[in-house]
Amino acid sequence: MALGGRQPRLHPYLQIIVAAFCVTAAELLFKRGAMATANDPAPLGIIGLSVLGSVWTWFGIVPYIASFLFWLNALRRVPLHVAFSIMSITQVLVPLGAWWFGSEHISPCRWVGVLIVLAGIFVVAGPAMKAEEQL
Amino acid sequence: MTPDILLLCLASQLCLVTGQLLLKHAMTQTNLAPIPWWRVVRLFSLGIAILSGWFFLWGGLLQRKDLSYIYPCGGMGPALMLFGAWLFLKEKLTLQSCIGIGLISAGIALVSAS
Repeated sequence: MALGGRQPRLHPYLQIIVAAFCVTAAELLFKRGAMATANDPAPLGIIGLSVLGSVWTWFGIVPYIASFLFWLNALRRVPLHVAFSIMSITQVLVPLGAWWFGSEHISPCRWVGVLIVLAGIFVVAGPAMKAEEQL
Repeated sequence: MTPDILLLCLASQLCLVTGQLLLKHAMTQTNLAPIPWWRVVRLFSLGIAILSGWFFLWGGLLQRKDLSYIYPCGGMGPALMLFGAWLFLKEKLTLQSCIGIGLISAGIALVSAS
C-alpha cells in the first residue's frame, strides 16, 4: 500500500515535547485543584471526586486532552520506543514545576534521578533525531 | 514487595505497554492511502480500552500502597515498551537505545523512590 498522509506542520519530536509540557501543566493544575478542595467533603469516599469542584482541575483537563492529541499525531511518524523515551521528560518537568511553582522540596537523590533520566533521553533521542534530519 | 502487589504492578505496566502499542499501530495505519478507517477505529478503541485497564489497576494499587512504594514500578514501562516495540512493531533497536532506556528506567526508579 502506498504511503499517504500530510506532512505534520509541527516536527513530530517537537510535538512530543509539547505533549510533555501539556502533561506537566495538567499535573500542576490538578495538584492546585486537589489542594483547593482538600478540606471539602468527599462524596464518594476515597475516589477523590471532590477535586472536580475546583476550577483548576477543569483547567487541567484541557492540557491533558491537548497532550493526547499531540501524542497521537507524533506516533504517526516516530518509533514508539523513541517517543515513549522522550515523553519520560515529564519525570523531569513535573518535579521541576512542583519545585518552581509549588515550592516543593526536591531531595539531592531525586535531582540525581532527574539527571539520569535526562541523560537517557539524550542517548535514545539524539541519534534518532539526527537520522531523521539526514533523510 | 509482596507477590500480589508485584503481579498487579506487572499487569498494570503490561496494560500500559499493550495500549500504547495498539495506539501506535492505529496511528501508523493513518499514513496509508487509502486510510483503512475501520481497522484504525478497531485498534484505537482496543488501545483505549486496555489503557483504561491500566488506569484502574494503577488506581487500585495506589489505594493499597503509598505512591513512593508503587511508583518505582513505572521504571519498568520504558523497558517493556522497548521490548514490545521490537517484538510486535519490528522497530529497529540499537545498543544505544537499550542503554538510554536503561538509564531512563533507573532514573525514574530513583526519582520515584527518593
